[in-house]
Formats: sequence, C-alpha cells, structure tokens
Amino acid sequence: MDTTGSYPLIKLTVGALCTIGLYSVLYKETKLYRFFEHIFLGLASGWALYFLWGETLKPTWWDRLVGTVAEGTNPEVPGYWAWAFLLPIGIMAYFVFSKKHNWISRVPIGIILGLWSGQQVQVWFTRYGAQMENSMKPIVPNTWSSFIVPADPEPGALYPSQAIGNIVFLITLISAMSYFLFSFETKSKFFNKMTLWGRWLLMIGFGAIFGSTVMTRFTLMIDRMYYVFIEFMWQGLLRRP
Amino acid sequence: MANTGVWDKLQTVDRRILYLLLIVFATVSLFFKVTVPTKPGEPVKDFYRSVMDIPEGKTVILQSDFTQSTRGESSGQMEALLRILMRKNVKFALLSVADPQAPLVALNVIRAINQERKAKGERTYVAWEDFVNLGYFPNAEGTANSMASNLTTAMAGRRENAPGKGPTDVFQSPVLQGIRAVQDVPAYINVTGSKTSNILIERLGKKVPFLAMVTGVMGPETLNYYASGQVKGVVIGLNGVAEIETLMDKGLKAENGHPAVAGFEGQINLGRGTGYYLALHACLTLMILAIVIGNVAMVVTRRKK
Repeated sequence: MDTTGSYPLIKLTVGALCTIGLYSVLYKETKLYRFFEHIFLGLASGWALYFLWGETLKPTWWDRLVGTVAEGTNPEVPGYWAWAFLLPIGIMAYFVFSKKHNWISRVPIGIILGLWSGQQVQVWFTRYGAQMENSMKPIVPNTWSSFIVPADPEPGALYPSQAIGNIVFLITLISAMSYFLFSFETKSKFFNKMTLWGRWLLMIGFGAIFGSTVMTRFTLMIDRMYYVFIEFMWQGLLRRP
Repeated sequence: MANTGVWDKLQTVDRRILYLLLIVFATVSLFFKVTVPTKPGEPVKDFYRSVMDIPEGKTVILQSDFTQSTRGESSGQMEALLRILMRKNVKFALLSVADPQAPLVALNVIRAINQERKAKGERTYVAWEDFVNLGYFPNAEGTANSMASNLTTAMAGRRENAPGKGPTDVFQSPVLQGIRAVQDVPAYINVTGSKTSNILIERLGKKVPFLAMVTGVMGPETLNYYASGQVKGVVIGLNGVAEIETLMDKGLKAENGHPAVAGFEGQINLGRGTGYYLALHACLTLMILAIVIGNVAMVVTRRKK
C-alpha cells in the first residue's frame, strides 16, 4: 500500500481507529464500539443506495425509459414508455410496511418467487447432475503396471491406488446417505452399522469444514493486525519500508 | 472435594486473555520475514495451469465479489491473479454481483498492482484498453442467467470512460471486441468472499471453463464442484494464496500427463499469502495448544473429583 504523503496517512489513521474501535467488542460492548458500528452501517447503506441508482437503476431502467441523447460515439437512443410499468410493481413491495395494505406487497414477491421457482429445475440439475455422474466411479483397476499413478500415466488407465480411493469414496457416499434414511425403522445389524459409520464420516467432514472456517477467521484477524501494526504504524507513522 | 487449583483455572481462563494472546501471536509473527514451505495441492495446480494456458491478448471475465471484510484471503488471491494476468497480457472485463462495495475494492487492488508494476518499470494496465469495469449488478442469480443466455443484453447500457470520447458502450472497447457470449471467453474467473461461485456454477454450467478463488469457509463445498469437473481449478483461502504464490515463484513440473508450466523467475511472486502464512501457523498452534490444555485439564479435574 502506498503510504507516502499526508492524505494516505489520514486514510490509514481513520481505518486503524475504526479497526480498533470495532475490535474493542472483544473486551466489552461499549459506546465506542457502537459508535464505529453505526459509522460502518451508515457508510455501507449510503454507498449501496448510490450504487444501486448509479450502476443499476439508471442505466438499466431510467435511461431505457427516458432515452439517452447522442454523446461522442454513442448514438441517440429513444425511450420506451413500457419500462414505466416496473415502477408501480417496485413500489408495491414497500406496502409490506403497511398493516392494512401489506397484501399488495405479495404481488412483486409472487413475481420473484415465480421467476425463482421456474429456474430451479434447471439450476438443480446443472448443480447436482454433474456430481451424481461423477459419483459413479470404477472400483476395479484395469492396469497393474504401477500401484500409484506414475508421472506419465497411460490414457484411460485406472491404477490400484486410484481404485482404492474410489472404493473409499463409494463407501463414504453410501454410508453417509444411509444415515439420512429416517422414513422406516431399520433392524438389520449391517445397515445400522453402516449408518453409524456414516455418522462418523459426517462428523469428520464437519470437523474439516470447521477447521477451514477457523482458518478463515484467523486470516481475517491477521490481515487486520497487518493493517494496524504494519501498514499504519510501521509503514505509515514510522515510515519504515 | 479434591483441590484441583491450576487445572480448574486452566479451564476457566478469561476469553479476553485468549484474544490478547491471539493478537500477540499474530502480530509478532507478522514482523518475521520467514517463508513457511508449502506443497501446492491439485486444485491450485489446476487453477495455475488453466490461467497460464490462457492465450496472450485474450479476454477473460473476472467477477470480483469480495469487500474489505475478507481482504485477508480474497485480496491476496486477487493480487496473485492480477500479477499473472498482467504478466501474460490477458485482458479482463470486471464485474461484481455480491456487494456494491466490491467494484471499488477490486479497482483498488488493480491500482496497487499497477503501482507495483510502475515501480519496476513495467507497463501498467489501462482502463478501456486492457480492462473494463462493467460495474455492479445487484441480482447475482438474474445476472448469471442473463449472461448465460445473452451477454450483450446482460451488459446493455454499461459504459466506461474511453480516452477522448467520454462514457462509451463497453462493447466498443478493445477488451470486449468480438465477445458476444460467455462462450467467447477462454475462462470465467470468480474471486469471491460469498457463495456467488455456486450461483455461477448453477447458471453457467459448462458453457465456459470456470475457475474459482474462494474463502476457507467456502472451500470444502467448492471442492465438490472441482472433483466433478464443474470448476477447473480452485484456490482456497490463505493456504491457496500461499500455494499459488509458490507456483508463481517456482513453476510447475510435468506430472500426471500435464506438461511443465514455467513460473515468473525474478519477479514479485511472494505476496500476502506467504507474508501471512507464518502468522496463520502461529495462531493455529495457539489454538491447538489451547484445545489440548483445556482437554487435559478437564480430564485431570474429573479424575481428581
């Protein structure tokens, strides 16, 4: 980060103060923390409003409604009155705040839900279809020339180490799925053991996910410390490289 | 009742002392310039191969969906990606769907990498000529759907300042010359601090090679898409940043039927990922120690009672 000149230093100082103010919640929720929290909320809301108009509503709705004049290499574009129909539909959503007329807000919500639902069949299959296809894996090796995959593997070959990996995958998939069969009572010992094994594997999975999440939280904290102690204090205030 | 003094106290350490220890561990580690070695995993190797395979002069779509809240992970990912794209002269069209702050944050990273290049006497990336900012789109699902069916309609009305012309339709820029559909770009790259990568996978399907740079929280879920081939390569969290920086520094040897990929010798490759890696290890060590001590204390206390 460029920390030369007075303006970047002011920026860094404000950022560091805000960071320390927000991190003060670790000690206790104080008025100082609330103050900085409200600054952030206000800034984020103001920025969002500006962007929603400037980047979205104006170019994709207002300009198309009223048209645009010729400017530079951009030709004149006539407005199209039908875009005006979107305004009352949008305003209807705000009736959610009215106790008497809040039913009106269900009209735009219904439109959004309809559009959403219509997409879901295709979306679901695009998301999970490839994964279902990928879960059908071969488990019998078709070459014994090497146990593990060599640096230059034969095309289409399934090495024993890959087959073992696929078997582990299939056992995990079937046992984890069997854990979710709640519709009938299971009396088979084999099946009960499989669901127990599925539960263990799920716990291992959740543990890995939790570990990854903790790593993210640490990284975010490390970055803030880098900002306060290296970018602001070391490079900004003390002018060290 | 038996006296379990120290062990009892170890189980009831004030959380504020732990926070303070964590801050001290993280901060002190940041002052040590130690490179912790790392062995890049297959998802990151595939990401690196895919990005390095993009032909020079081509345009990719870069969807940046992170803000300062995930700067620790996402910013390092974005910096590494931009260093590669700029060194390979790959143009990019930038857009954001997750947060209105995201485009500005992405532009700040581009500015920082441009300053780095300028200091080394290298060509800087110029808006309109080398990249265009398509801006913010508030509906991630709708935008992805729209792009999948018709890119020109999805981006209609978007303008960028062209030199000497003022605000001009983005499709007139050299960056988007000849691009009318997502299939026309060699890669769609998403740097995200939220779940926008899932939305893109759902809507764009296999229309375009998709690459993702996600946070550690999103990592395990994204690996499923990588395993099924829906994502060509993934960089996950800070660990992923350290891995891709290592690949940029040392290159990638030929393996598993893939040819060798060169690194960028003598250039700035090690950045935020390698810089934070020691601090991350210090924090994780502290956490593991705290868990072990807490559990040992619990067992000892129970036995004594």
